Amino acid sequence: MPLLQLIARRLLQLTGVLAGISLVTFLLLHMAPGDPARLLAGERASAETIAAIRSQYGLDLPLWRQFLTYLANLFSGDIGLSLRFQRPVSQLIEQFMWPTLFLTVYVICLAVPPTVALAILGARRPGGVADQIIRLVGIAGLTIPVFWLGIMMSRLFGVSLGWFPVSGYGAGFIGHLHHLFLPAVSTAIWLVPVLTQSLRAALIEKTTADFVTAARAQGATERQIFWQTMLPNAVLPTLNLLGVMVAFMIGGAIIVETVYAVPGLGTLMVNALLGRDYYVVQGLTLVFAVSTVLITLLVDLLSAFIDPRVRL
Amino acid sequence: MNSLSGSRTRAAGAVLHGAVLVAMGLCWAVPAFADDVIRVVSPYQTTTLDPMRSAAAGNIETYGQLYSRLLRRNYETGALEPGLAEKWEISPDGKTYTFHLREAQFSDGSPITAADVAFSLDRIRSDKKSAYPAPLGSVESVTAADAKTVVITLKSAFAPFLGNAEIWNMGIVSKADVEKRGEEAAFATVPVASGPYEVKQWKPNEKLVLEPNPHYWRKGYPKSDATVELIEIASPETRIAMLKAGEIDVVRAVPWTQIDELKATETVDMRLEPSTTIYMTLLNHKREPFSNLKARQAAGMAIDNKAMTAAITRGYAEPANTTLPGSIDFHDKDYPGIPYDPAKAKELLAESGMVGREVKILATADAPSQQTALLIQAQWQAIGLKPVIVNVDSGAWWDATGKGDYDAAANWWYNETTDPDLAVRWAVCGSCGSNSYSTFYENPKVDALVEQGTKEADQAKRAEIYKEIQKITTEEVAQIPLYYAPNAVAYSKRLQGLKLTPALQWTLEETSLGH
Repeated sequence: MPLLQLIARRLLQLTGVLAGISLVTFLLLHMAPGDPARLLAGERASAETIAAIRSQYGLDLPLWRQFLTYLANLFSGDIGLSLRFQRPVSQLIEQFMWPTLFLTVYVICLAVPPTVALAILGARRPGGVADQIIRLVGIAGLTIPVFWLGIMMSRLFGVSLGWFPVSGYGAGFIGHLHHLFLPAVSTAIWLVPVLTQSLRAALIEKTTADFVTAARAQGATERQIFWQTMLPNAVLPTLNLLGVMVAFMIGGAIIVETVYAVPGLGTLMVNALLGRDYYVVQGLTLVFAVSTVLITLLVDLLSAFIDPRVRL
Repeated sequence: MNSLSGSRTRAAGAVLHGAVLVAMGLCWAVPAFADDVIRVVSPYQTTTLDPMRSAAAGNIETYGQLYSRLLRRNYETGALEPGLAEKWEISPDGKTYTFHLREAQFSDGSPITAADVAFSLDRIRSDKKSAYPAPLGSVESVTAADAKTVVITLKSAFAPFLGNAEIWNMGIVSKADVEKRGEEAAFATVPVASGPYEVKQWKPNEKLVLEPNPHYWRKGYPKSDATVELIEIASPETRIAMLKAGEIDVVRAVPWTQIDELKATETVDMRLEPSTTIYMTLLNHKREPFSNLKARQAAGMAIDNKAMTAAITRGYAEPANTTLPGSIDFHDKDYPGIPYDPAKAKELLAESGMVGREVKILATADAPSQQTALLIQAQWQAIGLKPVIVNVDSGAWWDATGKGDYDAAANWWYNETTDPDLAVRWAVCGSCGSNSYSTFYENPKVDALVEQGTKEADQAKRAEIYKEIQKITTEEVAQIPLYYAPNAVAYSKRLQGLKLTPALQWTLEETSLGH
């Protein structure tokens, strides 16, 4: 059962990845200057107050003991309490997870159709007018900084025209679609060119592939050749790229979330880092690691499904 | 022709067309928001609902909504008024305060008793985790004489005591509830409130949703039954965009550069409200070069704080002339301040022997902090110091200043009352536990004057004492005063009666919604 083997192997990898990431983030966080107790109590708190808070939360224990306690809790399925809010980290992550996931899926929905269309359009006549325009616009989309584009779009479509909200997550499915439209478009604008370039190159490469010539010689129609032979073969590298990008978005939508005030994981990460909320940062890095591994797994499974030659 | 042309592009075209349709469908003009929510946006976070636990800006603003205190300040005049205490008597020797509580209830309907008051004040005074016990530093004991009478005995007569009993961390919490649920659980989600509002929902890192407390002792308040959302948004551009788009009602901490634009916006009431905020630059007295008096004076004289104020705040703030906030009592308006004299500064620096010394300037990411650091760097370079800017986040900033691992750091602070007692204890007193706001400035004469000012009852004599403190600490450049800044707050015009008081309290209970 290659599928089960793959999953088992990945899970094994996952434990290694998680252990490594936990240790590294733990050390980095605790070595960075800044004290959660001070940030909690404010600047006027005396040294004694800070010491009392540190001892209450076990921050005065030696690092190795803090780490062991953390690991022990982790093995029993408890990722800890937020130092700041005295709430389970899992509860905070759950609260902030949905906007980010919604945004990610939204971006994929907005980015994939134009990617396919533009790549086909560009690859039809490489170097032609359409191809050149797509490439130029693509480079523009890639080079515009996301935060600048975000601010400009929120000024134009949010403030001046009033078409879209400039902040928040909204209520209900339609509300989410409406509120996250500008953030999703801002992200799609740099994502589409990246994916388009990859897919276009693969498509061009495949037009001259032996199996295309063979299919044509066997009398397949152009439509069949494209949908059944070329596209599936060309799409694999782009699918892998998309997987990487999606994993990146789940962990790295910080800029877009900040500009549009989306209460997502990026916002939570920034706040937790600034507030030295150690266990929230730890929990988030674990979530990011798990999601990256899962997405890679999913991409591999899809690849195998599309191209049976791919060895799991 | 290759296999990509023809029907394939039509398929692609259809996909694009569909995407456009979806996009079009999504952009309709939305009604800005439901009318029964007041949305206040601030960069400062609510991180705890326990009034004892924090002295950080966002929490200070929240406490005022959730907890009533023995006294309150009239939002119009700023005068002290009865709060939970209906009336009080002060013994002739000024050492015993007897407060008579009114009939009032917590948000759970239970009565607010003298035991609750004694419990709350004792926590602030003596709990190890209390963030700011200083305002009750003069208190000897707090006792509940009967269910509705609280007797507070002071160590010695202390004129500003009533004012101190009003500040933000003096909120009364329910003894029964804290004892029942435990200290952490009682404040973790929905605490029992004694103020105008209670918590409807708290989403940490995002927003705090409040609703009117039906048992609030001021009958008829909050005037509006609207829900209040205190929303935390770090990016100033986003805050302003949200206000302009009509998604929110109030923006706290408007950047100086945006004020003119907001003043010109029709739907927005852009206000510069009086505050006791002072922006200054801390100097580290613990190590060279600024352990040297002449080097500090040189550093002070090198800075043109009038030009800096104009450049950073676009003229919306007033240059500072002493180490104390400009709007507190006994501020010496006539003191000339540290003169701007680069030539003299060079001379003094040469005399101090600190020419060419490296100076570590700490700066956080916000615009005023960056601008101040850059301007100070340029001006100190001109007199022969070697300033280096070190960029840090606020966590690292507090860490470094607390340990004295810096030479200069620009920041702001404010005084919660108009009485200067807490201000001098915080900013320039070496023996009051604050290390003179982490500058490690210590002058025994100033420390003695601080104690004297606390005990003195005669107003004219107090004025002299605080004048003297300002003179000494400014001459010795305990810190470099920069400017006195108003609170820049932008309001939607549909609100009436809302403002941010100098004590950083929102007058939400007095707010009504118009159209």
